[in-house]
Amino acid sequence: MDGEVLTRVLTQVAVVVGLLLAVSIAAFVGRDRLVATAREWRPRIRASAPAFAVLVVVLWLNRVMRQAGPGISERIGLHMTETFYDLEGEFVLVFQSIATGELTAYFSFIYVYGYAFLLIFPGVAYFALSETRTFRRLLTAYSLNYVIGLAFYLLIIAYGPRNVMPEELTVTMLYDNSPEYQHLTREVNRNTNVFPSLHTSLAATVGIFAYETRSSYPYWFPVAAVLAASVAISTMYLGIHWAIDVVAGLVLAGVCVRLSGTLVGRRPIARLRRYLDRRPASPDDRE
Amino acid sequence: MTDGTPAPSERPRSRRAVLAGTAGLAVATSGCVRQVRTVVNREAVDQLSVTIVTLPADGDREGIRLAREVAAVLEAVGVDVSIDMRSNEEFLRAVLINHEFDLYVGRHPGSTDPDFLYEALHSVYAEESGWQNPFGYANLQLDDLLEAQRRADGEEREAILAELLEELAREQPFAPICVPEEHRFVRTDRFDGWGEAHPSTRLGYLDLEPGDDVDRLRTAHTDARISENLNPLTAEYRDYEPFLELVYDSLATERDGEIEPWLAEDWAYDDGTLRVRLREDCRFHDDEPLDSGDVEFTYRLLQDSELGGGESSSPPPRYRGLAAAVEAIDVDGDLDLEFELEAGEAVAERVLTVPILPEHVWSERAAPATVRGVSVAQGATEAVTTDNVPPIGSGPFRFGSRTEREHVTLERFDDHFTRREGVDLPEASVEELRVGIDPRSTSAIELVNTDGADITSAILETYVLDDLEPAQETMSLESPSWTFYHLGFNTRRAPFANARFRRAVAGLLDKDWLVDDVFHGYAEPTATPVTEEWTPEGLAWNGEDPATPFFGSDGDLDVEAAREAFEDAGFSYDDGALRVRR
Repeated sequence: MDGEVLTRVLTQVAVVVGLLLAVSIAAFVGRDRLVATAREWRPRIRASAPAFAVLVVVLWLNRVMRQAGPGISERIGLHMTETFYDLEGEFVLVFQSIATGELTAYFSFIYVYGYAFLLIFPGVAYFALSETRTFRRLLTAYSLNYVIGLAFYLLIIAYGPRNVMPEELTVTMLYDNSPEYQHLTREVNRNTNVFPSLHTSLAATVGIFAYETRSSYPYWFPVAAVLAASVAISTMYLGIHWAIDVVAGLVLAGVCVRLSGTLVGRRPIARLRRYLDRRPASPDDRE
Repeated sequence: MTDGTPAPSERPRSRRAVLAGTAGLAVATSGCVRQVRTVVNREAVDQLSVTIVTLPADGDREGIRLAREVAAVLEAVGVDVSIDMRSNEEFLRAVLINHEFDLYVGRHPGSTDPDFLYEALHSVYAEESGWQNPFGYANLQLDDLLEAQRRADGEEREAILAELLEELAREQPFAPICVPEEHRFVRTDRFDGWGEAHPSTRLGYLDLEPGDDVDRLRTAHTDARISENLNPLTAEYRDYEPFLELVYDSLATERDGEIEPWLAEDWAYDDGTLRVRLREDCRFHDDEPLDSGDVEFTYRLLQDSELGGGESSSPPPRYRGLAAAVEAIDVDGDLDLEFELEAGEAVAERVLTVPILPEHVWSERAAPATVRGVSVAQGATEAVTTDNVPPIGSGPFRFGSRTEREHVTLERFDDHFTRREGVDLPEASVEELRVGIDPRSTSAIELVNTDGADITSAILETYVLDDLEPAQETMSLESPSWTFYHLGFNTRRAPFANARFRRAVAGLLDKDWLVDDVFHGYAEPTATPVTEEWTPEGLAWNGEDPATPFFGSDGDLDVEAAREAFEDAGFSYDDGALRVRR
């Protein structure tokens, strides 16, 4: 039943994303980096462990809050759906005028598979770099996205366009076209968590990182840019987010990338040791 | 700035000057203080600004669409409208428990018998929380009629009800909109007998004929609340789902509008006295015996969830109207009871349909609930707030397991009286009933198509009905419907206390057009909240609303005519905005 559908969808996603990963690792990362990674993975893991641990805790927190969140939101949250609707009206319906079966299939694919791939691949790609800072920054930026996003979800109760204008969005609405995906998204989100769009912010985060690392991965940047833009548009096309959510997602991405640069040092272990020794950090340790 | 009361002399000069300016400089300087007062002490009459509470599309697709149409016509007549969407349980909490609404759009569970209106509208319930009078409506004439129809039977009752419904149509404490059709999608290769009893009642899931080797009935249910809370007294989590009826027996059960014996072997009604005899040897799922003491306890709890322990009585938010008909209960041994009722035979039998609760589980729940760190409203006893997991009833199925938002699994209760020799009642024909939660109609249908479920147990949303494609092993099942969509007014708040205003608002609704547009034609427009059988001739739908005809045609509102109606009702316009004193 529902559990079986979820398992089936998860398997599908795992297989497709796995394939995409295999192809893109071969295409973008390359043999030399993989060989080096195989040799140096221990110290890299050691250096990245704190950032990774933080991300794991944040994801766990995200899971816990999905249960507790609605109760807290009901008490402290602001109902904002009407405000968003008043501000932007039926803007997201512009995508309905260009809707075709192929586009709907494309954006549905992007929203589920493309997004998962877009988030996972940079993890692999940056782990394969000889320096670990980019990888640590990426993990930190992911954590920040989730933490800040979660705080907004608690404070702002809003339903997405599909819940306000169901009839107008019937043609492209994700869950009507591909009902099986709701089992997946239901596992990770609630229908009042729309502001900001975490799909957009995480995709944009990856996009910005791709831009910053374009000297290491020159061909990944255009791919990431197209995917990230597609993810942002898909959230509106499929009726899941308001344009305001997407804009807020973009801002959040910028803030998180910036913060990750400030928070993550170049030599974390050395800094940590110095911090423990209560000695002030030397200037060259800072960004 | 304040309302412009004359400035005290110690205030700075500039402020006094401003105040003088607002009051009208000429008047102020002429020294006619009295006239200043009469001008500035009149409260400003503002544009009417209202909030419509409803469910998002995930909870009620038709509800939000209706709410948006209602908002559009109200805005056309100069009202400032905002829509407040709440999840299922928050919506019911706002409307039924806290009365935090101006207007709401939603589905009323309704009933096959019009007596539900007693609970819905009697003025003594205006201050209570629950399905009892959420509108805060008070009308002594209607109260008299509501009480009179309870005591009457047969043609006399019909006549009273006709008068009552006419009064209701005139007063519009809520505006009934339409009765949506009830469709479900079922698999026919594993079970026979769908639709012999209504699938929103217990009988719809008993006595199905399973095929060979079929010992499990699987439903795809689009409402997750049954997996979160299994308390028959919690209003926010209950509506038309039949599963708690399978866990809890009632003395009588309804089939096609008729009341039949269930836990009661039989009964006899005589002039306000109902003598009931229970079936022998019935037990709850925890093996404790069920006797007349539990029955008497249940009705006492339904009248006061604190069992007399509170300062005043605090009735639970469900079954209020039925329990109120009971004046006294005499227990005569383990099996016999005598109900003293303020009701004729028709309503007396309805009283027997409430769930019978085990005293040994519920007696300790009659204390005020405590939630750490939260102050609990008076009357919120644990009986009302507990999630009641696991539920201990005496019904044909017992609770098995559940995972929130995934499933509730019930197991057959082998000791149930329906399984006895000599009891000719529908019984559980499978060992397990699994209610799988699947939040959308489209995917619930898909589950039935792919043999993942046997029935979509919640009512399907109307937008999927055009695309429903019954194949060889599946079919569409239509059942009689008595739920209705309505626009509820909070008559505690101005201007909704004014029946003229409510009538004018009801006239903004083109019910015929809404049925076509919002429900894709799968609904019947209605002017009255009762089933067709009870609808008086004068209120039957005749192509237009016989009570509050639409100001316009084909969904196009005649704004001029509508605004005139509001003006005729005593309201005024200024700059296109409807001004109301609140």
